[in-house]
Amino acid sequence: MMRQVVERSILRLAGTHVVHGRWGPTPSAFGSGLSLAAARLAALACRGRGRFSRPAGARLRLSAALLAAVLAWAASARTSSAQSAEELLVSRAEIGHQGGQLVVNQRAEPKTLNPITAVDSVSREVIRCTIADLIHINRDTQRTEPALAKAWTVSSDGRRYVLTLRRGLRFSDGHPFDADDVLFSFRVYLDEKVRSPQRDLLIVGGQPIGVRKVDQYAVQFDLAEPYAAAERIFDSVAILPRHLLEQLYTEGRLAETWGLGTAAAQIAGLGPFRFKEYVPGDRIVLERNPYYWKGDRAGNRLPYLDRLAFQFVASEDAQAMRFQTGEADIASRLNAETFSVLAKAEQTRSYKLFDLGPGLDYSFLFFNLNDLDSKALPETSRKQSWFRQVSFRQAVSAAIDREAIVRLVYRGRATPLWGHVPPGNKLWINRSIAQPGRSLERARRLLQTAGFSWKPDGTLVDGRGNAVEFSIVTNAGNGERSQMATIIQDDLKQLGMSVHVVTLELRALLDRLTGTHDYEACVLGLGGGDADPNAELNVWLSSGGTHLWNPEQAQPATPWEAEIDTLMRRQLTTLSNSARKRLYDRVQELVAQNVPFIFLVSPNVLVGAHSGLGNFRPAVLDHHTLWDVEELFWREKRSSATP
Amino acid sequence: MRYLCWRMVHGLLVLVGVSVLSFVFAALAPGDFLSEMKLDPRISPATVAALRDRYGLDLPLPLKYAQWLRSVRRGELGFSFAYNSPVATLLWPRARNTLLLTVTATTLAWLIAVPLGAWSASHPGRWGDRLCAGVTTALLVVPELVLGLGLLLVAVRTGYFPVGGMMSARFADLGPWGKLKDLALHLFLPASALILLNLPILVRHVRASLIEVLAAPFIQAARARGVPHRRLLFRDALRAAANPLISLVGLSIAALLSGSLVVEALMSWPGIGPLLLGAIAARDLHVLVGTVLCSTLFLLVGNLLADALLYLADPRLRVDQA
Repeated sequence: MMRQVVERSILRLAGTHVVHGRWGPTPSAFGSGLSLAAARLAALACRGRGRFSRPAGARLRLSAALLAAVLAWAASARTSSAQSAEELLVSRAEIGHQGGQLVVNQRAEPKTLNPITAVDSVSREVIRCTIADLIHINRDTQRTEPALAKAWTVSSDGRRYVLTLRRGLRFSDGHPFDADDVLFSFRVYLDEKVRSPQRDLLIVGGQPIGVRKVDQYAVQFDLAEPYAAAERIFDSVAILPRHLLEQLYTEGRLAETWGLGTAAAQIAGLGPFRFKEYVPGDRIVLERNPYYWKGDRAGNRLPYLDRLAFQFVASEDAQAMRFQTGEADIASRLNAETFSVLAKAEQTRSYKLFDLGPGLDYSFLFFNLNDLDSKALPETSRKQSWFRQVSFRQAVSAAIDREAIVRLVYRGRATPLWGHVPPGNKLWINRSIAQPGRSLERARRLLQTAGFSWKPDGTLVDGRGNAVEFSIVTNAGNGERSQMATIIQDDLKQLGMSVHVVTLELRALLDRLTGTHDYEACVLGLGGGDADPNAELNVWLSSGGTHLWNPEQAQPATPWEAEIDTLMRRQLTTLSNSARKRLYDRVQELVAQNVPFIFLVSPNVLVGAHSGLGNFRPAVLDHHTLWDVEELFWREKRSSATP
Repeated sequence: MRYLCWRMVHGLLVLVGVSVLSFVFAALAPGDFLSEMKLDPRISPATVAALRDRYGLDLPLPLKYAQWLRSVRRGELGFSFAYNSPVATLLWPRARNTLLLTVTATTLAWLIAVPLGAWSASHPGRWGDRLCAGVTTALLVVPELVLGLGLLLVAVRTGYFPVGGMMSARFADLGPWGKLKDLALHLFLPASALILLNLPILVRHVRASLIEVLAAPFIQAARARGVPHRRLLFRDALRAAANPLISLVGLSIAALLSGSLVVEALMSWPGIGPLLLGAIAARDLHVLVGTVLCSTLFLLVGNLLADALLYLADPRLRVDQA
């Protein structure tokens, strides 16, 4: 039951004790700035004696002295209030020590530091280290945990959430944080004119979620209809500094702000790091946020690292080289081939590699089931009479040698798949989905029942005597996918099908898949994101844009797609976790029976880090290696990079 | 002077032609900047459509070009979809890095090629000359990619040089000398790759034109009068052989620029090469056109400089003009 979930999270909250005011000099920086100003004014008041002639001099002196007194009072008041009320989250990770720099490879430059408009994954990866959300998904446990909101309550109908914010927190520029910042952030994300890609996630039941301030440290969210796991939508929704952005927002200039050329002082967030420097084409450097809202059990403020540098290295091979020579400290998303090359040198070099097992990504083969104009694409629409038959798709699935793909393409570092929830998604996988091995016998039987037959030379022909021949497209530049397509080509040849593999540049391919629908079959991959079924809503709803085999349908084309639609919508508004799991299990069964996607494998998540890095706990959820960046530390003092 | 003006007008026409062509080719390629977003289940088709509208992706080509021309007039060279900023601000810092690399490589290549070619020319047929011919032939047939990878392999194995980038992670903490040393270390590999790529052509041309001059009667006469060999070689013969070599400067800049695109991408040198590659992959139209234009501009300026040098060095050109 939902109530249990909430109770659990409250129990977790009880475990994370809130400590008051033990964090030394940094939080009072603003206060000390004020006291400095007061001291200067006082000095001015004394010096003024010689400078100004009476009576103007006396007046000025007097007002300067008065101002100094007021400022001094304000400074002391601020310092004490900041120290007494700062509710930090206490990390339970190993206690480390501060200092050092972490260098991370990034496959491309981030394009912006603006969390509102960033759409590319590279920018989001960098921005992720500079922002904080209200409720966060722990990448290790895959469950939600308190972040800027220290607790929350849910109404019994599941439509009202009241979040209590931590008190006394500050943005990375020292400005205090409260409910107004939360209100402002959601106003921005929900504003249609801003066109933030986050907006789609904040629409529930066709209505934007309602946000209302309860008091300075509590915010109420109202949903149009009950929404399962609604607290997960808060993950990665960055809380914005109202004091820096409100004016830009009213002027309509939000989209252009926080580009890479922005001065560091104009950017602030609540994340563990803050922007320091950008060297075009080469690197972006973040520095420790001295106001970050997490601490460790010894009373130190996190993060431990002084600096976090992302260096831009385009090719995977070059990234591996930098990691091998120690010019980068962490290697993320290694492919199986690079992993095995690095593994050979693991003994002699100072790094450790980790195979985390299957992640959330899954790859699949699918056929074009779009409602095609038979005049525009006569050839493909003729072949669709095969593709539309479930037994044809089942036969293809039975003929594919998934073990061979795992062995040959991934060097054993992948898991064969028969359903869309990979084993990496521990909470949602339906373990009762059948996992039949490869059987050409079964494939032939299925084809025979569907009216196919074989010519004496072994060629497969349909009921009208047409030879079965089609092409599989996949994206060039992804070696693994084209290798999988080639293995499938060979597997299906044994059934008498003639298959051609065509590689296209990714954007050209997507143009065909979602635009012109000019393709026959395709090998692609999806995944990443969150473990919750709601993250894949657009894949399984027949009206979804990523319902790849037949996207954006007005009415579900088949009864089983209609059933999936109903199930997905029902799980969306079901608050009990076990009931949701039952509904989603049925979705997985339907998908496995009707094989709109013929699932191939889920590649393992492969990462590496230099051995001296403490608290390195890679996770299968994205971002695999930097999700707990605030807790990472160097076990011994080291110069941060060799030559 | 009129000669130079004419060359500049010619260059401008080339720039316009290049911009039109790259626009048309980029537009002909299927897919556009927002295609990839369609694969993200978290973004709805309506959002993508709204963004298409904002970036003007569905405008007809001539309108897109006119839009771009207007922004060129403002000095912005277009607007990058991906970076959400004017292209000029992206190009300038990277163009500077590319120039640093190519100018260093060109200078060093010539500084090595001239003495090597001269020495080779004055000892024709001896073992040293043959060795030089053998090595340059071998270098000439090695593709730039293989050469770059070979150098990277050496760097990874020995650990003497960084395997990419322009500065190390602790660059900001270094003193002025340390910074210079760090930069030089990072420059070493990409510059070596470029030098090795260009050296064979340069050495061979220097040798060929010097051999020709050394056989000329005026050299024989000078030698008979007892002019020392080295002075004869570097002062008299080289000056007489300079004409074809100066024309070669323009060509060598072209070769270096095309080579530097590959080397930059390979060794992640933050020049315009990686920017161009990224723009092609992301279909960032204006960045693509801007980068191509920038490369063309370098090429034209290089050639113009070579022409100007030739004009100064060769009195015959000036006489023809008059």
